[in-house]
Amino acid sequence: MARILVVEDDHDLNNAYCIILRHEGYEVVEAFDGQEALEKLKNFEPDLVLLDLLMPIMGGLEFLKKWDAPKKHNKVKILIFTNMENSPEVAESYKFGASRAIIKSWTAPHNLARVVTDTLQTSDDAKLPA
Amino acid sequence: MAETDMPSAPRRTAHERQAEVEALFTSIGDGAISTDEFGRITRVNPAAQGILGYSEDELVGTWFPKKIIAVSADDVPTNLIDRPITKAFLTGRPIAEKMFYRRQDGQEIPVSINVSPILLNGKPLGAIEVFRDISLEQEVDRMKSEFISLASHQLRTPLSAIKTYTHMLTDGYMGDLNEAQNKSLSTIVGATNRMNELISTLLNITRIESGTIAISPKLVKLNELVEELMPELELMATAKSIDLKLQLRGKGSTAIKTDALIVKEIVTNLVSNAIKYTPDNGQVTITIRPHRNEVQVEVTDSGWGIPKFSQDQVFSKFFRAQNIVKRETTGTGLGLYLVKGLLDTLDGKIWFHSEEGAGTNFFFTLPRTLPNKKSSSRKKAKA
Repeated sequence: MARILVVEDDHDLNNAYCIILRHEGYEVVEAFDGQEALEKLKNFEPDLVLLDLLMPIMGGLEFLKKWDAPKKHNKVKILIFTNMENSPEVAESYKFGASRAIIKSWTAPHNLARVVTDTLQTSDDAKLPA
Repeated sequence: MAETDMPSAPRRTAHERQAEVEALFTSIGDGAISTDEFGRITRVNPAAQGILGYSEDELVGTWFPKKIIAVSADDVPTNLIDRPITKAFLTGRPIAEKMFYRRQDGQEIPVSINVSPILLNGKPLGAIEVFRDISLEQEVDRMKSEFISLASHQLRTPLSAIKTYTHMLTDGYMGDLNEAQNKSLSTIVGATNRMNELISTLLNITRIESGTIAISPKLVKLNELVEELMPELELMATAKSIDLKLQLRGKGSTAIKTDALIVKEIVTNLVSNAIKYTPDNGQVTITIRPHRNEVQVEVTDSGWGIPKFSQDQVFSKFFRAQNIVKRETTGTGLGLYLVKGLLDTLDGKIWFHSEEGAGTNFFFTLPRTLPNKKSSSRKKAKA
């Protein structure tokens, strides 16, 4: 089963996403900021990173730049999960390897599970911004 | 002395009138420049010298459009034909516009310009341009947008937790629930959705009005995009026993290069409006029609409709039709204003047909490709 790294600073939401994704059968590891995510990635190779953008210590964009996703980890899908719709940060995340962005507060758990499954099934060609 | 005791105001002599105009010209806080009929600068007031960084001697006698460089938000020098002063000369009418002026020291400052031609018996004698530095206004706008953006984000985080955990309960992640528990949770979901919509609307309107909305064009299939929205929309429709349908009509691909999130907001707004303003047991249908250069979406409802006399105000801010304000008290009158603004950012078009008591059909089209948008926010962001 696919492996997912959940990076979300809000403990309630992080916990909820882990419950939902584990319920769907995914192997899930959690991190609460970009810095912790980089640490976790030393021992965990995910198929997908579910990434919040606005986080303390290290935000999502900085994490993507440091991790160098498009060059070094282009097989890993990055799903931005944010509440900052239509923001410049979301637009920029595509440049750093994000496949898709969804709005947290609009997304019910069953939709989260579906979007994760869809994104994992998307081919790498479709990942590049058109 | 009472006003009635004053002697009647004497008629001004030509010299006195000239002194009056002189005092007005030099004392107004906005920059003012007058030119002759060829556009050569004849006079400059102190405020204009302050804004542009030139002395009167450096300006008088020079050709206005050449001496004072105007640039667009994208740093492109404005063509002579597009300068407000040229337009005022050509049309013989006052022109009001906003652009950037390049100061003598090279700094570019946003200005709000009003130019009026000076006409004598219909013949142009010259023009007067009055302009004002709007840097501060733009900075306040930027701060307002930033504040709303941050406040919206902070409001949404706890809302996301409420919504996620409520759905986890209703979706059975924590075991089975009885009917009363499910009903109560549906009420919580409905209320958080309304709060989310309000925050979203507020945030987007602020971004549209300040020109800071970010667009991320990607190739998407419009029918698939709408299908993704259907579970949430069906929940709203089911609550009012409304029959919600999605249909694809005509042949051809629905693939377009556009911003998927913005399109989702447009569709969600139109469909939730249709559901909201349709009585129970009604019908709402979404029809997607691919055309050669664009894809059309139609949202049809069997609702209360919009009265003829207020149809021209439908896309105005805070508009709410008189026939529905008593039936539906939760609307803000911002939904369609937002939809129109969002469609403008994607080069889309929107129109509607409506008959009171029979229903409404909203149509919108999106072009196959989104031309590179001019970033109206770039200079504001730099400020």
